[in-house]
Amino acid sequence: MTAPAQVRAVPLSPRSRATIAVASLLGLAMLCWPLLVRVGDGVSRVDPPFLFLLLAPVVIAVVVAEMSEGGMDARVLALLGVLSAVNALLRVLSAGTAGVELVFFLLILAGRVFGAGFGFVLGVTSLFASALLTAGVGPWLPFQMLCAAWVGLGAGLLPRRLTGRAELLVLAAYGVVAAYLYGALMNLSGWPFLLGVAVPGVDGDLTFDPTAGPLDNLRTFAVYTLITSTASFDTGRAITTAVAVLVLGPAVLATLRRASRRAVVVAATTGTGPAPAPSTPHAPS
Amino acid sequence: MPRDLHPVAWWLWAIGLAAAASLTTNPLVLLTIVAVVAVVVAARRTHHAWARSFRFYLWLAAVVVVLRVLWRVLLGGGYPGDVVLDLPQVPLPDAVRGVTLLGPVTSQTLLAGLYDGLRLATLVICVGAANSLANPKRLLRSLPPALYELGTVLVVAVTVLPQLTQSIQRVRAAQSLRAGDTGRVRRLRRFLVPVLEDTFDRSLALAAGMDTRGYGRSGAATPRERRTTGALVLGGLCGTLVGVYALLDQTAPRLLAGPMLALGVAVAVAGLVNAGRRVQRTRYRADRWRPAEVAVVATGLAVAVLGWWVSEHQATVAYPGLDAVPQVSLAALVAGVLGVLAAVVSPPPRTPGAPR
Repeated sequence: MTAPAQVRAVPLSPRSRATIAVASLLGLAMLCWPLLVRVGDGVSRVDPPFLFLLLAPVVIAVVVAEMSEGGMDARVLALLGVLSAVNALLRVLSAGTAGVELVFFLLILAGRVFGAGFGFVLGVTSLFASALLTAGVGPWLPFQMLCAAWVGLGAGLLPRRLTGRAELLVLAAYGVVAAYLYGALMNLSGWPFLLGVAVPGVDGDLTFDPTAGPLDNLRTFAVYTLITSTASFDTGRAITTAVAVLVLGPAVLATLRRASRRAVVVAATTGTGPAPAPSTPHAPS
Repeated sequence: MPRDLHPVAWWLWAIGLAAAASLTTNPLVLLTIVAVVAVVVAARRTHHAWARSFRFYLWLAAVVVVLRVLWRVLLGGGYPGDVVLDLPQVPLPDAVRGVTLLGPVTSQTLLAGLYDGLRLATLVICVGAANSLANPKRLLRSLPPALYELGTVLVVAVTVLPQLTQSIQRVRAAQSLRAGDTGRVRRLRRFLVPVLEDTFDRSLALAAGMDTRGYGRSGAATPRERRTTGALVLGGLCGTLVGVYALLDQTAPRLLAGPMLALGVAVAVAGLVNAGRRVQRTRYRADRWRPAEVAVVATGLAVAVLGWWVSEHQATVAYPGLDAVPQVSLAALVAGVLGVLAAVVSPPPRTPGAPR
């Protein structure tokens, strides 16, 4: 018997979906704030909103709490923990070598096999665990967690009918897109912090200028990110992810699906019908 | 009596100091805060592995400052003022309109980069201090009950890692005894699958153990309770979204910014608390809040409030001009120094071998 292309290890109720949607909008607003700023009259200085660094973890905590309120099976918890550990190990091993990042590869494959909700939580826990292990908890962590959560979520939302080679190709392409988007978003969040905010009357540098329109700022940012990372780090990450998916994907997908058959108890409500009721049936053992 | 302080207390203290630092670019105040943080870390950190990470954050902070100043020099001048170093200008092609490399470096350019970089560096150092002072494992145990699942997952992840390296070694040893494909890709695949299989087997065994010990939560919340939580969380997040937008768009009514943001966060956190009420678990040897913890948090809070007051009422002190020596007021100085009280009011950490 072949395992289904996807199981839903962490089922998402409509309410959870709405929560994720609103929280994602909120996260996007906090990441892309330089493009949203509009300065009032007579304001001479714009500081980066440091408040967002505090707000982001609260938002993530609230979303995860809402998602897990229906309860999670011990097997799913153990699977999440173990996969987070593997991801954290991959991250530690691949850090240092410029741009070679292996975190996304397993995150994408796991999101594909275990569904969008699982991918979201795995993104959060993977980065958190690796930060805990390397003592790399910094102001940047909440945003990394959020972006990684989106990567896992998106992988779970890819069309479910794809199989075989088409599936691998789509996953690899998705990995490339995700790697670039992740890099751009993380850059966008760090840009005004690292380069500072332009002072009125001074131009010619690549800093964020609150008085210019969003389009102008987007152009400046595009140049900045192209110079600093798109050409180097992000490309490295994209290539690594795509190659890893293509080369190791078949074996890992098969392993994950075998595990999913044993570990995830599929409720009677899987399928494309309305969202499952909050009750999780107990595992027949 | 030596004991480890509650990890959350250290985090709140560090966040207070970071908040104060984020509200000023005065290098004197920022350097005071850095010094205070370093003193407290030196006095109160434990002997554990994570306590040694502070050095890493100091290096990172130094890199941030240097990078910031270098960017300013590289991407140009433009700041009017006293020229320190007259570098030739290198105009870039039209594609990157309006960007010039190098150019005359003024002291204002350097100072602007230095001040802003110092602020970010101070923030990084404050977070680093919390990292090296607070025990991450105990911090996980103090997660709010609603995040119980998240905490469990993280504990599993952190504890499983050493076993993972063992399983890698075992698979390596077994494969070195056997002939097989020698191609790199094949070898990697042959290596990865058994390790992953082993990992999943272990996770299932772990899950069985967790099941018998009552880990994992069945959704015992009634639909009504779930509706309440959902409404609180969704409403709170929507309110926060409006607040964030109004905070950024300064032409929006101010009532939507601060108050709406606070209200939204409060409602969302209420949802979090409500979700946690379903979880009935006791903690083994829970960390308790004692006077020392409260005092440390109060110190951080006082620093944050003072920093905010200075930025509101003494703008020239909080954001000094770039063409004069920065001044310090009494309030700013107190805001900088006050944080060191945490080293006085907190108990010394336990050392191995010392009598309990």
